[in-house]
Amino acid sequence: MIAVMDDILRSPWVAAAGDLWRQATRARFLDAVADGTLPPEAFQRWLVQDYAFARGLLSFQAVMTAKAPRAAYGLLIAGLTALDAELTWFEQHAGRLKLELHGPPHPVCRRYVDYLIAAAYTRDFAVLAAILLGVEAAYLAAWSALPTTGPYAEFIERWSSPRFAEYVGGLLKLAGEHEHPGRQPAFNEVLRHERDFWQMIWES
Amino acid sequence: MLHAILWQENADIVHACRHHPFVRGLFAGTLAIEAFRRYVGQDAFFLRAFVQAYAVALARCESLAHVRQLYSFVGGALEELKLHAAYAADLGIELDEVSPWPSTLAYTDFLRRTAWHTDLGPTLAAMTPCMRLYAYLGQAGAAQRRGAHPFARWIDTYSSREFDLLARQVETLLDALAADTPAVHDAYRYSLQCELQFFSAPLEPGA
Repeated sequence: MIAVMDDILRSPWVAAAGDLWRQATRARFLDAVADGTLPPEAFQRWLVQDYAFARGLLSFQAVMTAKAPRAAYGLLIAGLTALDAELTWFEQHAGRLKLELHGPPHPVCRRYVDYLIAAAYTRDFAVLAAILLGVEAAYLAAWSALPTTGPYAEFIERWSSPRFAEYVGGLLKLAGEHEHPGRQPAFNEVLRHERDFWQMIWES
Repeated sequence: MLHAILWQENADIVHACRHHPFVRGLFAGTLAIEAFRRYVGQDAFFLRAFVQAYAVALARCESLAHVRQLYSFVGGALEELKLHAAYAADLGIELDEVSPWPSTLAYTDFLRRTAWHTDLGPTLAAMTPCMRLYAYLGQAGAAQRRGAHPFARWIDTYSSREFDLLARQVETLLDALAADTPAVHDAYRYSLQCELQFFSAPLEPGA
């Protein structure tokens, strides 16, 4: 297991989230990616919705960065640059598959993005750090649990890479440094959205 | 007029709201009081976000005339919250202890995101449906009402001339501030979809 993953799993965040952590990081979609049985239409749906999500996350993180203390700039700006590259990467895949990326998002994706962006403007930085940790730690946990083989190995590697893990480690440290009574509820709320997102991708 | 185009192009959702089991029960007086209690609690939570969204829109207006209008809308929404407080007292609901449901949060997060992150046009488009829909439903309920009614106060409030006037004023401001863009159409429609969900939620098992 990636060392950072161990830190996350032992963190008070995951302990306090209870079963929500498992619900947010395990999904039938991911099982199907792992065993090679994922229907192409589910993969395409994921690509389109995750692109819409990544665009929303970029807005969230840009506003969050504007509220950040100086010491967090490097980490958050590196994350923004990575998100920009990720959007390009999604666009290339979508282009090859001739997918329309700019249609209306699924209501479940929309709810998640609305939550993030509304929070970015209205919540304290400490809460935003907990939210971003929830988003990225759940993603690292979800993908890094899969074997990096099969037709989707490129995707699994992307969110299991040491570089991504190091970034999430930075977010874990950042969130830990900023206390706020609203931070664990916000972390849990992210996990609920993650859970609903995976479910939507699989069941739509 | 943009507001009329938006209302007409979403007639399907308006129709679904008008004939929703919750609304039919409310009009007929047969709605379970428990469902109404749950609805009032969520609606009070929603209204707080509505007041805040008006306030954010107000802060963005350049014209003092528009600021005054939004100021009066904030006052109108605060009056509506008073009505909810009166209901809540009658129904024994502690409004401060109400936890929002996912469908309520979907609506309030959408309103907040739109108000803070987009322009005045989509913001007004997100806020108008609630006003026009409730005026429309209130008037439909009043037309159907015969004699004493368990939800008379709800029907009276939303069928009143004052509420209709308020809805018209919000629509006029929408026409003044919003361009006919996809974002405006999308915000209006999504807002109505949130309204429809709002009626469904109190009837769902486990609500």
